[in-house]
Amino acid sequence: MSKTILEVVDLKKHFTHQRGIFSALQEKMRSIPAVDGVSFYLKENETVGLVGESGCGKTTIGRTILRLERPTSGKVIFDGRDITLLSTDELRGLRGRMQMIFQDLDAALNPKMRIRDILTEAIGVHHRLTDAETEKRIAELLDQVNLKKSKLTNFPHELSGGEKRRVGVARVLSVGAQFIVADEPTSALDVSIQAQVVNLLRDLQKRLGLTFLFISHDLRVVELMSHKVAVMYLGKIVEMGMSDKIARAPHHPYTHILWSSLTEKQSREVAKRAVSVQAGRWGVFDFERPAAGCRFAPRCPVYESKGRPAVCTEPATEPQLVELDGGHRVACHFPL
Amino acid sequence: MMAEPLLAIEDLRTYFYSRSKRAFIRSVDGVSLAVAKGETLGIVGESGSGKSITAMSVMGLVSAGPGVISGRIGFRSDRVERQLLEGLDTCVALRREGGRVMAVEKDDDRWAGQVEKNMTGIRGREISMIFQNPKQSLNPFETVGRQITEAIMLHTSHKIEQEAKEKAIEWLDRVKIDSPRLRFDNHPFGLSGGMCQRAMIAMALSCEPHLLIADEPTTGLDATIQSKIVDLLAELKSELGITTMLISHDIGIIGRLSDTVAVMYGGTVVESGPAKDVLSCSPEGKHPYTAALLASIPSSDAVREKGHLQAIEGDVLDTINIPAGCRFYGRCSRVTDKIREKCDKQEPDLREIASGRRVRCWLYFE
Repeated sequence: MSKTILEVVDLKKHFTHQRGIFSALQEKMRSIPAVDGVSFYLKENETVGLVGESGCGKTTIGRTILRLERPTSGKVIFDGRDITLLSTDELRGLRGRMQMIFQDLDAALNPKMRIRDILTEAIGVHHRLTDAETEKRIAELLDQVNLKKSKLTNFPHELSGGEKRRVGVARVLSVGAQFIVADEPTSALDVSIQAQVVNLLRDLQKRLGLTFLFISHDLRVVELMSHKVAVMYLGKIVEMGMSDKIARAPHHPYTHILWSSLTEKQSREVAKRAVSVQAGRWGVFDFERPAAGCRFAPRCPVYESKGRPAVCTEPATEPQLVELDGGHRVACHFPL
Repeated sequence: MMAEPLLAIEDLRTYFYSRSKRAFIRSVDGVSLAVAKGETLGIVGESGSGKSITAMSVMGLVSAGPGVISGRIGFRSDRVERQLLEGLDTCVALRREGGRVMAVEKDDDRWAGQVEKNMTGIRGREISMIFQNPKQSLNPFETVGRQITEAIMLHTSHKIEQEAKEKAIEWLDRVKIDSPRLRFDNHPFGLSGGMCQRAMIAMALSCEPHLLIADEPTTGLDATIQSKIVDLLAELKSELGITTMLISHDIGIIGRLSDTVAVMYGGTVVESGPAKDVLSCSPEGKHPYTAALLASIPSSDAVREKGHLQAIEGDVLDTINIPAGCRFYGRCSRVTDKIREKCDKQEPDLREIASGRRVRCWLYFE
């Protein structure tokens, strides 16, 4: 049994903002619960996928785990140490082992540095190597991510999207990271290039024994990449389990809708449309005032079909993640 | 036999002159397409393949300085019949030195005037367009309702504001926006991405155009919202029987909504035909690019078995230095020794290989 590399316990990240100068004077801060009590763990050499609609807090989780954001409360235990309590100096030591692949390709690479300098700098931060050793390491990295050596003298803007993504991966590997948060690594890439990147990440995982937290809204890619999948809705995990279970035998109505919207879109003939349970209302959700009780209730078809039971909307009976079978957990009063 | 085309594009070329590179970026390079009345033409291709520029050329939106268009775009409905590119070539002169274009001299004012002349009564009234980014395409300072009302008053016979307003509310209702009367007074920032896209669709359809161009109507929306928008488009299509040109990089959406499909690569159409043939799983009779593109999408089987994805090696075509031979030659895995010479040197043309199916590949020409 492989050991647990990262454990997240009841993690919360609330952002605050003020509206207008008068509310600032009155010290009335509005709080947005971007991540609101999330717990999960990652085993070594495993990929956990994090899916959900935009704005549900996926990226915030990734950033908070790496302490790029300070959590409001909760624990993040990496390799036996609670990193929410570490000082900046202690964190720096850990950064060599945990890294993030950022979503925005262009913002992540310094436009004024050549690829060689970008990689050299990253290596230099965490390892003291001679020039010759650095050179050797860079060659090794390029080989690992399938990038041509001639690209080293290029600037980021001269590279295509797929190549930029490879540089991002090479930089993360260069510091020797074992745990990687991959934030939408395939969005903004064309399908043909997307497949290259997915293959690359999976190869690297096999060869180097990496652990991934894979954040994406692309359900197919998540299912393909991940061993386990966690589905998020408005700052909470609503369902978690093995990826094939989540995709093919979901228990939470939201998960069901997510995946059926995919197959429905995918089906080539109109006649072959999946039976849809999408009867719920699909309005705008208000993040500042999430619905009392189950957050998904206002959009939930099961809630409608059960005649709007009070248990779903009582604040006291907000559904908690309950284990069903074989580690599959779901937060719903009426699992499918 | 194809029904009478509503829109016929012949050998469309849209180039942008890059002063720093001293060369043309050949975004659209010889596209011929036809959209028959009442049917939906889907255009698929990766980013940079020229899909959106084709649509913008049709709408007369390529007006900015360095853009140059040639070819023919014929539009013919029961109200209007017109050549949309008429007279544009006279507004541009190329300065050549030793066979190489050194600069483009374009009379921008005359160009703009000519475009206006060609497009009056067409844009909005006959052809309307849904843009990729709904939030950016709506005016942030105006309420959604007023923007639709304005379009209706401008393009249809409803000239009285109250009447146009009622019409606008009716359309908001038709695109399934909850409580349309309330939403009428919302600004775009008060609506979600999906609602903005619905409002855009309402605006585009409110003038009852003959042709609707939908440029990536679902890109940037969440999966659940995407399927709602696709459902809406499918419903409107069967209800109104409107002719549509649907542009997307998402093959799933194209497959759901289109009757015929054109696959674009590097500024040209490499394959076109009935949707079910072009998007079927077997690589038989397909352009190698289409086959590879379909294979690189994670299919349900591949996902289940956690298999290796079939990536297309290499990178998307550089539209400045277009090779002399087939555009896909560098990435093609189906080149045989017999045709290698031809693939490298000579560009294949788009030929009909079966009824309604046209492919641009030496593999199928004997």
